Amino acid sequence: MTWAIFGTMIVLLLLGFPMMIPLLAGSLIGFVALFGGFGQLDTMVQQVLAGIRPASLIAVPMFIFAADIMTRGQSANRLIDLVMTFVGHFKGGLAISTAGACTMFGAVSGSTQATVVAVGGPLRPRMLKAGYNDSFVLALIVNSSDIAFLIPPSIGMIIYGVVSGTSISELFIAGIGPGLLILFMFSVYSYIYATRHNVPVEPKASWGERAAAVKRAIWPLGFPAIIIGGIYGGIFSPTEAAAACVLYALFLEMIVFREMNFKQLYATAKSTGLITAVVFILVGAGAAFSYVISFAQIPQQILAGIGIDQMGQYGVLFTISVAFFVGCMFVDPIVVILILVPIFAPVVADVGLDPVLVGTIITLQVAIGSATPPFGCDIFTAIAVFKRPYTEVVKGTPPFIFMLLSVAVLLIFFPQIALFLRDLAFAK
Amino acid sequence: DTWRYAFEEALEEVQGKYAQKFKEEVEANSDHTVELFPFGTLGESADIMEQAQSGILQFVDQSPGFTGALIPEAQVFFVPYLLPEDQDQLFSFFRNSKAIKELFPPLYEAQGLELLTMFPEGEVMMTTQEPVASPEDLNEVKFRVMTNPLIVESYQAFGATPTPLPWGEVYGAMQTGIIQGQENPAFFIESTKMYEVSEHITRAGHNNFTTAVMANKEFYDGLSDEDKQVVQDATQAAFDYILDYQDGLTEESLEKIMEAKPSMTITELSEEERQPFRDTAESVEAEYLEIGGEQAQAILDQMKADLEAAAGASGGETAEDGGEAMDSSAESGSDGAAADDAGAESDSASEGDDGAMDEADAGSETEEAPAN
Amino acid sequence: MTPDDEKPPRTDPDIIAAAEVANVDEDIDDAEYVSGLPGVLGVIDAAIARIESVLLALGVLAMAVNTMANVVGRVIGSTIYFSEELNQALIILITFAGISYAARHGRHIRMSAFFDAMPFRPRKMLMVAIAAITAAGMFLLTWYSVVYVLEQASRGRLLPALQIPQWWIIVWAPLGFFLTGLQYALTAIKNVIDKDIWLSTSTLEGYDDSVEEEV
Ligand code: NA
Ligand code: NA
Repeated sequence: MTWAIFGTMIVLLLLGFPMMIPLLAGSLIGFVALFGGFGQLDTMVQQVLAGIRPASLIAVPMFIFAADIMTRGQSANRLIDLVMTFVGHFKGGLAISTAGACTMFGAVSGSTQATVVAVGGPLRPRMLKAGYNDSFVLALIVNSSDIAFLIPPSIGMIIYGVVSGTSISELFIAGIGPGLLILFMFSVYSYIYATRHNVPVEPKASWGERAAAVKRAIWPLGFPAIIIGGIYGGIFSPTEAAAACVLYALFLEMIVFREMNFKQLYATAKSTGLITAVVFILVGAGAAFSYVISFAQIPQQILAGIGIDQMGQYGVLFTISVAFFVGCMFVDPIVVILILVPIFAPVVADVGLDPVLVGTIITLQVAIGSATPPFGCDIFTAIAVFKRPYTEVVKGTPPFIFMLLSVAVLLIFFPQIALFLRDLAFAK
Repeated sequence: DTWRYAFEEALEEVQGKYAQKFKEEVEANSDHTVELFPFGTLGESADIMEQAQSGILQFVDQSPGFTGALIPEAQVFFVPYLLPEDQDQLFSFFRNSKAIKELFPPLYEAQGLELLTMFPEGEVMMTTQEPVASPEDLNEVKFRVMTNPLIVESYQAFGATPTPLPWGEVYGAMQTGIIQGQENPAFFIESTKMYEVSEHITRAGHNNFTTAVMANKEFYDGLSDEDKQVVQDATQAAFDYILDYQDGLTEESLEKIMEAKPSMTITELSEEERQPFRDTAESVEAEYLEIGGEQAQAILDQMKADLEAAAGASGGETAEDGGEAMDSSAESGSDGAAADDAGAESDSASEGDDGAMDEADAGSETEEAPAN
Repeated sequence: MTPDDEKPPRTDPDIIAAAEVANVDEDIDDAEYVSGLPGVLGVIDAAIARIESVLLALGVLAMAVNTMANVVGRVIGSTIYFSEELNQALIILITFAGISYAARHGRHIRMSAFFDAMPFRPRKMLMVAIAAITAAGMFLLTWYSVVYVLEQASRGRLLPALQIPQWWIIVWAPLGFFLTGLQYALTAIKNVIDKDIWLSTSTLEGYDDSVEEEV
């Protein structure tokens, strides 16, 4: 059954079916095989609905909406102009700022999809205009957004902490080191890319120009204030911060800048709804597919055959990395954590691995998997929001995946990258 | 055959322990195998319940608080101070309750489910940033509660601002201060690391988290008498096991918390301090009778009778005082003095026992985790 | 860390232009939507399209207002305890109104690299097969969504906070699947009777406007 499912999915995907069909077909075959007919397909519908229901997903349409309003109006440009007066004269400055902005935004919003939209939306046209190749830009946005998994607050780490009984505070701190290391590597790569491709730099801005840019961006600087101040100040949850950004964006663009009228507001809301639907039906279809994998206990069967209990520490870490990487290529990260962590927990304890290190590696793999073809929420979001073909969105991915995987390898051999800050903070 | 059993908690939490024992018993005494599905692997609480109703799952563990959306009467377990704070009385109630053994099964049957058992998971405790000794201390405190009208009503009556929040956001919200309190049993506060983002644990004894195990009705009716016996025996063995397992579990969990975070304060409210909380039970009970469905009154009356019997049966001094306590709660807290006595008794009589029950609540919260 | 190509970047100016103007010129103008159906059916189809678009827009706006109202409520000390359930209802509404709207305008995500590389004839035949199979899948899910909704109605599950029947908020699922299936069925028919290749009844496949349609 396993091969029939994955085979069908890949074939339908390559033939050019709407992406929901491979995912739905995968689960359909699973349901029919598991229950010997069509009798339980109502449960498949249940799972599609369960997939789109989680409250934390509401942040996605809200950030799409806010970003769309900001980009149509002036807010986004004024903010980017401000950044450019400070970094525009550096080689790769814009790309590095994009990576940094994705990391920061992802850290506070807790949603990689929201980050793709909110940061990538306004910055992509600027990067294209500055001379970056679109496939590089798309891959940079999608992969930088995934650093959000590692920087607190991280829903993946919370779930891992609960399932494995590991301190969530320690996990949060352990994620920071690898997260920053990845950001550093992406920055170096951006610099190399800009140099090799001769991406032109802007003339260095004078302090007068910078002051003028700050003044122009005073109102839009309210967005980072709302998001960062609101969330860390205990006023908003990340989801609510997204909604607050919508209202603030409407206030700026409709009242302060007078860039938007009610007709445009309607069109923006409709366009947000359309993108949301296109992405969420895939989230729902993915949930139904995850159900099949989970119900049929496919991971348990595969892992039972490889003799993980005979391995040493490195073998176990390597197996865990591969299992999560492959799992997240096809299935929602949260479900992968829920299914796989209990399977690995006894082995992790047996070989004496630090569960915080394991959690960090798993979170990193989850981040990599979400941006890795064939299926991944961030890829879907980028396709829907930027309206670029699938192949274009994933074309620039390999160098990023390579960097992310090398961080995973580094973590296995130099756990201090993750544990240094943790040991410092918790005096271990 | 392969029987599938899903529950709302992780494998090593109370519902998971029960399920493991059940599996062990069934597999030892029959040729059937039981596959276990911990929380989140097949969906949220409501999802696995529906799957048990449609027969995809043979067994499911769902807490009555969640079942309340389907069987409104089951919300009776959210009426504060209804269940005894004394562990012997509590266990005796769950072993013998006529409400559970006779009144609830037909309600579950109407939903296509065979109610196998109900058991307690542990005393619900509040975790907050400021100490709590009276309802005044909860004034203005944004307190995270499950989305259920009775819990909302309870915490409103306690003086807090009940704030429903998806479970996945609770840890972060406690950390940043969106909310300043949440409630759970000790084992769940420990396992979900909620203590990392709280300063105080308060034991007001207002509830004990209850959960229920069911089978798909059609599946169960279709079993041979022999297999039915296997299921019943496994249910009973797991029930006995889980009460044993809980003995001391709360104290153990609280010790682990203190070890991990020595600055934590854990306060057990005295009877005088509990009284103002207890006085609010009346309004919640009234709300229950309003939204608890046709049989709400019958269930509540029977529960109170059962509890009185349990208080009488749990022996010695405690029995007498306990009996009075039950009476007082039946009168909705109007008889404060009696309740005081009973509480004081049970506190001193069974400190360790109390702890054991605290775990149960965790279940309710765990369920929501997969949603996020 | 090897850059993916050595050439200086030559980004297509059209792509830059399209990215720059964001979504503005890609907004679907419902007034200009021409149904692929003849006569009365066309009028009904256009009316459904209009309803879908209104539901989409109002759903998103309502979600923003509801979420913020909850924040305001919490700050002033009276939480809107049904806020989460309302958002659940809205997201289901948006998703299922949206999938059929997306099908109508050829906006569902697909991996079209191999498809685009094919010659015209096989590509056209494949498009018919894709649309027909997708339609069949949607109709199958319509049926089982109806089954599921009826089950939920008969079980009498309530939403805990709102205390309304749960099936009220999921009834959009069968409706959305059905209308989506209908759009794909019509697309299959349109591809059979027309000489061109159609992504939806109103969207022609083509490279000129690939930025808009190939999503
Ligand atoms: Na994060
Ligand atoms: Na993926």
